[in-house]
Amino acid sequence: MTHPIRRRLDAGDDPQAAERGLASLVLTIVELLRELMERQALRRVEEGTVTDEQAERLGCTLMRLDERMNELVEEFGLEREDLNLDLGPLGTLLPKE
Amino acid sequence: MTHEGVWVYAIADHAGGDVFLPAGVAGTLVRAMTAGGLTVLASNVDLAEFGEAALRRNLENLAWLEEVARAHHDVVHAAAGLFPVLPARFATVYHGDASMAAAFAERGDQLRGALARVGGRMEWGVKVYALPIERGAEQVATRSAEPGAGMAYLKRRQSEISAKRQSSRTAVASAREVHVGLSGHAASTRLYPPQAPALSGTKDPMLLNAAYLLDAGGAARFASVVAEAAAAHPDLRLDLTGPWPPYSFAGQEA
Amino acid sequence: MAAVLVRRAGSLTGAARGRVPAELPRDFPAERVALVDLLDRVLAEGVVVTGEITLSIADVDLVTVSLRALLASVSTLNRQEGR
Repeated sequence: MTHPIRRRLDAGDDPQAAERGLASLVLTIVELLRELMERQALRRVEEGTVTDEQAERLGCTLMRLDERMNELVEEFGLEREDLNLDLGPLGTLLPKE
Repeated sequence: MTHEGVWVYAIADHAGGDVFLPAGVAGTLVRAMTAGGLTVLASNVDLAEFGEAALRRNLENLAWLEEVARAHHDVVHAAAGLFPVLPARFATVYHGDASMAAAFAERGDQLRGALARVGGRMEWGVKVYALPIERGAEQVATRSAEPGAGMAYLKRRQSEISAKRQSSRTAVASAREVHVGLSGHAASTRLYPPQAPALSGTKDPMLLNAAYLLDAGGAARFASVVAEAAAAHPDLRLDLTGPWPPYSFAGQEA
Repeated sequence: MAAVLVRRAGSLTGAARGRVPAELPRDFPAERVALVDLLDRVLAEGVVVTGEITLSIADVDLVTVSLRALLASVSTLNRQEGR
């Protein structure tokens, strides 16, 4: 992999790339919210603080959101993984020396 | 007339005599001078570009930073190939030879100690990535209307999340094991934060970003130890870089 | 202060002294390090001697590549790779 950083700058000169960049920025935020909602729903289901009916409704809503994300991402020529906010946590688990 | 500053590359353990070094930052000529009983590699630079205010501005410009960092590195790297060096902190600038000499004179013993501790060693970098996990069955096609679909979705997401968490834990443990193993072959080690995917250029999460200070002649052995570690951990990808001048080990002892 | 003469290196093999050195291409040494790896090292805190211009790297908003530009180029990069 050569020069991923220089490519960042070069792409900045391209208005289309900028637009896609803006789209992916927005979608990243939407994805973050979707993930947060999903995790909260899963936690509630685990804790048993929702009825089966509520869980079913939550699940359907989340499923539809997930499907919609796939559509949006495709519309902008992106991929779901592009929106991955997983920054690799793991540095903090390794001891500092 | 330009207002001149002095940009420092490194301190060297070098008795004297001609040296061959590439051009420095902004294409400047690199000088070697003695200060405080040490040999200092430095260039005269224009403070309009390398003065404090200018640096604050320029360091935020990635193109400028890249060019200057590479020029700085070319000098330090070339020097490290000739004699033991202690890289100076990037963007160490003085307003003139006199103040530079004074600063080095004051810290002479400390710097000589640091230079001795590093002892002409070079560093090697190892980055460990988690290899992508095989994705499970593709998401079921739109069947939102099916009864129980919502619950099924939640169950599926739940198991996906815990599987991911588990393999993440395993990968972290593996990376830690690799680091401990490699550390045994190094005089010293230093950890850096894993690089974010956008900067590392790969989507595989980085689990370890480490520098290892190796004794002279230890490179070949280290490379084979790295290869062995890679073979022993098929869930990881190991990336070896080097030799580097000992940037990561020039700092003061804690 | 004694000065040691420094000549610009003329070749990768560090050829004979006394030869008129040629200007080095920016790519010397031959193997170009990854910028991210270089920045990890040069922007780290390790202080050897504080310069007169006491600029703590941590004080400066370094590498403030805007998120927008960064994400734009991740997409571009993926496209270039044919994803």
